[in-house]
Amino acid sequence: MTVENVLLVSAALFALGAYGAVSRSSLITVIMSLELMFNAVVLAAVAFSRFTPSAALLSGDPVTAEAIRSALTGHAFAIFVIAVAAGEAALAFALVFAMFRARESIEITDASVMKN
Amino acid sequence: MMEVSTLTNVAFWGASTMTLGFALIVVTQRDVFRAAIALAGSFLGVGILYFVLSAEFVGVVQILVYVGAISVLMAFAVMFIQDVTAGSRPVQGRLVGATMGALILAAVAFTAVNTEWSTMDDITDPIAVAALTEGYVEIGTGDDTTVAITAPAETTELVIENGGVLVDSTGAVGVLLVREYVLAFEIIGLLLVAALIGGLLLMRNPGPGSEAAAEAKEDADAETVGSEASV
Repeated sequence: MTVENVLLVSAALFALGAYGAVSRSSLITVIMSLELMFNAVVLAAVAFSRFTPSAALLSGDPVTAEAIRSALTGHAFAIFVIAVAAGEAALAFALVFAMFRARESIEITDASVMKN
Repeated sequence: MMEVSTLTNVAFWGASTMTLGFALIVVTQRDVFRAAIALAGSFLGVGILYFVLSAEFVGVVQILVYVGAISVLMAFAVMFIQDVTAGSRPVQGRLVGATMGALILAAVAFTAVNTEWSTMDDITDPIAVAALTEGYVEIGTGDDTTVAITAPAETTELVIENGGVLVDSTGAVGVLLVREYVLAFEIIGLLLVAALIGGLLLMRNPGPGSEAAAEAKEDADAETVGSEASV
């Protein structure tokens, strides 16, 4: 398990998500694919946090508590991205419901007009 | 190069296979409900990967938010919208999507393999290494805070134990969230409230007699007239 391995898994997950987001007809599956891509990006952030040292620890300056904690910046980034993704998912499904109510369909080909 | 144990490797590749296998089902399965179940499995695989990567806090958040909340939201949406019996068939963008995915995979793989990533071995400061792997205490207040290591660093040779992973990462993430990133933390809270209110507004069923319902009816009438005129 090296940083390259984790990045390859992350890239494969992102590629699968991108394929799904472009090639599926149902809006729900498109949103699922978006979530897969979110996960891939967060996985890459955590991998970098785990395997590569932060710049503050390599600079040679006297070690401070901030410098030690900066080793975990990737984790904090991951948590923020997960929070944003949760809000995005809630709004996305509200939009899907609104579209279903207006058009009785959630096919992306039916979502070509923005008014009503 | 830092060595990780065989067990860690087995767990990593097992969780990776689980994640990618379920993700493949998500993007190929026609039955949307089965895709939603597979998505929960994929999220769980990513959660296990976080634990393997020593990111316990992120792993727990992943399981709580993704496996617990978003998967349930997906299943709820699938059951709420009866249209899912039609399934999610592939559209014409299939070839474009496959090409795009392959290109992304190739680009990232090329970059990952051909870049000389710095490793934990590059840390040469013994205090930094000891603080990461054996724990540290903070001395002083405010800007005068310095780090003292809890264990006496009498060994002169630099041994990076445990892959250079910060011990007590959960506590340190908590401190990060309310100290260095407190502004972002507050803004995330605001964002979630805005998403909640926005979601409620979009989902609101305009009841009969309400102003919104009257407006919607007017619009519908106008559209009917317009379409009749165009016919």
